Amino acid sequence: MRAAVLAALLAALLDGCASQVLSIRTVPDQTPAADNAAAAANAAAFADAVAAESANSSAQEAQDAPPLLTPADAPSMYTYDPWERLNRFTYRFNARFDEAIFLPVADTYRRAPAPIRAGIHNFFGNLAEIDSVINYTLQWRLKYGWRSFTRLAINSTIGIGGLFDVATKLKLPGTPTGFATTLAKWGMHPGPYLVIPLLGPSTLRDGVGFLGDYGAEYGINVAGLYRGNVSWGVGTVNAIDQRANINFRYYSGGSPFEYETIRFLYVRRRLIEDEGLHPKEPVKKTADEVPAGK
Amino acid sequence: MMSARLKLIPFALILSVVAAGAAVAAGQVEPPQSTSQTPAQSAPPSPGPAIGLADSAGLRATVFGTPPQDMAVLPAKVPLSEINAELPWRLPVPQVLWFDAKLRVWLSAQDKPAPLAIVISGTGSDGNTKTISVLRAALYGAGYHVLTMPSPTSPAFIVSASSTGVAGDLMRDGKDLYAAMQEIIAHLPRKVRVTDIDLVGYSLGGAHAAIVKSIDATEHKLKIHRVVMINPPVSLFSSVGRLDRLFAAAIGPGDQAVELLYRRLYAQIANLYRASDRLELDENFLLGAGAATLKTDAEFSAAIALTFRLQLVDMFFIGDLYGKTGVVTDPAHPPKVSDSLEGIQRDLRAKPFADYFARVFAPYYLKRRPDATSASLIASNRLDIITDTLRNDGDYYAQTTSNDLILNKSELAWLQDTLSARIVVYDHGGHLGEIGDRQQVADMLDMLSGSWPRSTQ
Repeated sequence: MRAAVLAALLAALLDGCASQVLSIRTVPDQTPAADNAAAAANAAAFADAVAAESANSSAQEAQDAPPLLTPADAPSMYTYDPWERLNRFTYRFNARFDEAIFLPVADTYRRAPAPIRAGIHNFFGNLAEIDSVINYTLQWRLKYGWRSFTRLAINSTIGIGGLFDVATKLKLPGTPTGFATTLAKWGMHPGPYLVIPLLGPSTLRDGVGFLGDYGAEYGINVAGLYRGNVSWGVGTVNAIDQRANINFRYYSGGSPFEYETIRFLYVRRRLIEDEGLHPKEPVKKTADEVPAGK
Repeated sequence: MMSARLKLIPFALILSVVAAGAAVAAGQVEPPQSTSQTPAQSAPPSPGPAIGLADSAGLRATVFGTPPQDMAVLPAKVPLSEINAELPWRLPVPQVLWFDAKLRVWLSAQDKPAPLAIVISGTGSDGNTKTISVLRAALYGAGYHVLTMPSPTSPAFIVSASSTGVAGDLMRDGKDLYAAMQEIIAHLPRKVRVTDIDLVGYSLGGAHAAIVKSIDATEHKLKIHRVVMINPPVSLFSSVGRLDRLFAAAIGPGDQAVELLYRRLYAQIANLYRASDRLELDENFLLGAGAATLKTDAEFSAAIALTFRLQLVDMFFIGDLYGKTGVVTDPAHPPKVSDSLEGIQRDLRAKPFADYFARVFAPYYLKRRPDATSASLIASNRLDIITDTLRNDGDYYAQTTSNDLILNKSELAWLQDTLSARIVVYDHGGHLGEIGDRQQVADMLDMLSGSWPRSTQ
């Protein structure tokens, strides 16, 4: 299995020819007509979203409005990053790994027929639903836990082992959650910013959450997919599927400040999500000189 | 199991789009008129700082781009190759810029002999932006091979292809760009058969396209045929000065002003999110939040000004590093990979282009051009250094708008006078917000094929 994975990686690396001056790599076709049609279709959804946001907020004002954040409540522009030197090295390693191996492999994978890729994506999404059921329960958000459980039941049976996402078609869309969000719900701060090898931006809390998710998967070991030799293949395909569905390129704009930008955005996004986990509680106010995340 | 975390990255980038104000970004949609009647928006928009020829509609079009329903018919599929080029004249690469060592351009090749259209990006941008994608699709659909290139002011170009490291000089950057084009075209695979070469550039890239053709007219290395400039500046430094004033007016002076803007945006987005009952901060949420956050002219202006300023920060830092001008970096001890650059970024966010000119650009060039003065450097960065060529050579064309914030009245008049029938001025679009609409694409293709002006006009 490991040999097969290595062979696939090598094949992807050698894909594309190189001359002294130029190296040329074919990337997936662009689909402008479909993209524009999708954008046009989004127009309605977009208008709905705007209307829903304003209707929602005015309805909320009428009822028990959650206390509003003021600009003074916003976390510092600085981010808590005591391990910055190590993080920066890891970030560079991740960028190089992505450029040399992960991304070329994902690009090759993207040439596989769309229905096959959709099946693989749905399959892993369905497996992740198990972890979501556990964590929604730990977060005591039973409504969503039940929804994840129903999705798991429907997609594993009617959806033929998760290959088809029937539940979403039945208007039961999923939102995965994990142990990191559970820790946040329990009141844990993000803590120090952490760049994890191969995985990318995280925080200490989210990193622990990732280990928790992995531990749960390993412990449950659904269909024997998570232990032994087969786990290598499963993990690799899962990783490639994830990468192929992420529209991100390290240093695509070439900015010298990408590390700062990504760190800033990652932590702000998580902090806003944390606020959303406790919508009725007063805002956690931190002193201006405390860096965000601490 | 892998990378539940990785999934967060693109969303973070979308947040950056909102935060940095390109908001819902070109390619997304302006909220339909009906939504502007919601109570929250019924108050008359406060008159924000208009700048150049910009008006309210122009500011919005600049942020949102062409609405999808107005988009020209684009092909279903466009093949794409990424080309990384190692250029022989590249200067030593500073350690902190290791990732910019190769010039990255993008090629969409026809499988039969065809003319090649080279598209040049705007200030600070790489060769694969959303604007570029639209132009690429339109040109490829019309039968061109399309090669898209970063702006000579973008970090990757400065590091991989600039002969100075200090960007912003129209002629010097144009020569570097011309040299890079030759190198790439000479090494294209043989199956790409090129019958003719045309240039398209937008924003600052428009000025670069014109300069490159004028250089080629004496050097004959590429035999560039026609050029279409889209929303070009006339005086580079006047246009940039307008964006600096926009920043000062819409955001305020210094980094405290940026921090205030950040705090306001954070609170607004967090409040919307708390009220929304959502489980994750995803793209759809941010689309709504972007529209709910950007309402007034001042807010659109702030978004545009901040986007530009963040590009300037990159160019400033790199220029200071290469020019050894010591504004934010110590020439004797340049920063290393493990060093934090946050302080530098913060310092530079507060600095307008005028500071880049006075403390990096002018010192660098005055040292190397003994006859030059600050005034002559400014004068040499105007499109009118090739007035006669623009006036007399029928192969230069332009498309611009009557509400472009980077131009003023006299500059627009100069463009119209100089190019006469070879310029079209749209009444909508602001800066680049007309790119991709049916009329713009049809006109651009007519210009490139030499069938402009149309006989009916």
